[in-house]
Amino acid sequence: MTATRPDDDVSPDDHLRPDDDVRPSDDLPPDGVRPGRGMRQGRGAGQRRAARPGGGLARRGALGVAVLVVLVVAAVAHLLSPGVSPGTLAGVLDGAPHGLPERIVWELGLPRLLTAALTGAALAVAGLVLQGALRNPLAAPEFTGVNPGAVLGVLAGVASGVFPADSPTGTLAAAVLGGAVGGALSWLFTARGGPERLIAGGLLCSAVLAGLSTMLLAYQPARFGNALRWLVGSAEGRVWDHLGVVSWWIVAWIAVLWACSPALAVLAGGDDHAASLGLPPHAARAVASAGAVALTAGAAGLAGAVAFVGLAVPHAARWLARGEPRAGVPAAALAGAVALTCADALAQLLTRLVAGGALAQRVGVPTGVVTALTGAAVLIALVRRERTT
Amino acid sequence: MTAIEARGLTFSYGGDPVLSGVDLTVSSGEFVALVGVNGCGKSTLLRMFAGLLRPTTGTVLLDGVPLTGFSRREVARRVAVLHQTLPPVPGLTVRQLVRQGRYPTRGALGMLCEPDAGHHADQALDLTGVAHLADRVLDTLSGGERQRVRLALAVAQRAPVLLLDELTAHLDIRHQLEVLGLVRELRATRGLTVVAVLHEIDHAARFAERVVALHGGRVHADGPPGRVITPELLAEVFGVAGRVVVDELHGTPRCLPDHPLAPGPAHGTRVPAPTE
Repeated sequence: MTATRPDDDVSPDDHLRPDDDVRPSDDLPPDGVRPGRGMRQGRGAGQRRAARPGGGLARRGALGVAVLVVLVVAAVAHLLSPGVSPGTLAGVLDGAPHGLPERIVWELGLPRLLTAALTGAALAVAGLVLQGALRNPLAAPEFTGVNPGAVLGVLAGVASGVFPADSPTGTLAAAVLGGAVGGALSWLFTARGGPERLIAGGLLCSAVLAGLSTMLLAYQPARFGNALRWLVGSAEGRVWDHLGVVSWWIVAWIAVLWACSPALAVLAGGDDHAASLGLPPHAARAVASAGAVALTAGAAGLAGAVAFVGLAVPHAARWLARGEPRAGVPAAALAGAVALTCADALAQLLTRLVAGGALAQRVGVPTGVVTALTGAAVLIALVRRERTT
Repeated sequence: MTAIEARGLTFSYGGDPVLSGVDLTVSSGEFVALVGVNGCGKSTLLRMFAGLLRPTTGTVLLDGVPLTGFSRREVARRVAVLHQTLPPVPGLTVRQLVRQGRYPTRGALGMLCEPDAGHHADQALDLTGVAHLADRVLDTLSGGERQRVRLALAVAQRAPVLLLDELTAHLDIRHQLEVLGLVRELRATRGLTVVAVLHEIDHAARFAERVVALHGGRVHADGPPGRVITPELLAEVFGVAGRVVVDELHGTPRCLPDHPLAPGPAHGTRVPAPTE
């Protein structure tokens, strides 16, 4: 028995294992040479994989190109939707904006695009992780008190004067704190009912927190500028200064949760299953919840209480990922980014259609209205599909 | 060599003790069946062997080392548990479930970087004869198929000890025999130690080489099936009057239960479930 391999030192008897001759990577001889590794893989699992349609580099390349095309199309649609001419957009591409139209795209259009994409990605990943960790397809940041808590945190912070309304770091910190408190309150409301029952307490808690936010906004409407952006959620009005810290925060947490995704997949099989495979379920759920709160707070600090993205997009992401644990988080991030970018493009188009002309620059249709309407439709479609299959 | 050793285990969920002083030693390579009425503490004992429950008093030793000295993943590298059921996970395919068997060895980051996790899963699926189901969604499988797939997960986990909690519950007779036959085969080919909670005494007699009957929180009888499974055991442990005959084909005892006995002092306060 070679005791150097961590997975083999507990094997009952190496000679009794019939699969010894086909193990590709674990059976490194002491000198580290891998005899015929490629060949063995070719005969073993590789052959099986090749039998399935696609597989390999070509498929991954095609997937990468497809993702890129979708992202670029969504981004261009988003940038053009406020009525920018394609010529202006091309002019921005050289990195040095000339003239007013190009500078508007550079200083308002691009930050708004990034805000929408980051918010969408953050909410979708948060929703995916919550739904898995709590084993509830309705677990979403907006139904677990996290999203409304984060918004209330930001508003309370600004109202109490702890930080100036435009401070990105202050906003983020307040959103994280508020989101954590909101999530914890939901957990307490449910009082040991288990993760599956969290939603009842979460809905109640979310409603109370959102009510408090409304009260704050009604009390000091002038202080918060556009009240709708917080209550309904909107990507409008964000500039580069707002994005600095939060964008790194969101990207970093998505990376952390992606690194955890095999553990999250194990956790989805239930507490007993997870514990039997060596994953402490409570600790794992705590890490997953912390990540979801952090991402939701980042999103709420940027764009307010955008609803339905964290609820509906994870369902689409799971369908895209086909259960492959490594693909879930990236799929949710991309789908969320694309979904909210498209929703915001639609919001900008609607703004032009509804308000028209000069007014559009000041009063916009909030992104959250579009996500609420389309998200509800998508969700109904999902529920109907699940019932029929 | 001793695989699992329980020393003076007691446990209570708050009220009456479920276990009150269980001593049990399981040798490497043994197939032990735990039998007893509902609520006698079979599953509780199994969960303690897996480190999922901590005994109120007493110690569980794995390979001679107290279980509390291992991390959860270290325990999972030594002991694989199959619980009675696995909650439904939407969209999870068979191969993806079996891949999770790599978690105790690799951890989350390791699994993320492992290029051929699917290979280990495929081997395990081959061994349990369910390679053809690899791309099926778990929730669409029949009960028998599910249990075979879950055995594949345990194989992929590569733990030398296999704990089974009512693996054959809710299966029809053919699939019960199939699944238990597979367990016996895996035990032989991979040198596993198996401790199985079995509802069906006849299955315990047929497949296990040692039967441990739990009653009143203690080990009531312990030994080869021919010696343990007797009319007295049926009366004292299960509260049933019956006969035990020898199955000539397999040379193992077979129970012919006749009628339930009135609850008496010999049977303690627990009322036997009439369905057993």
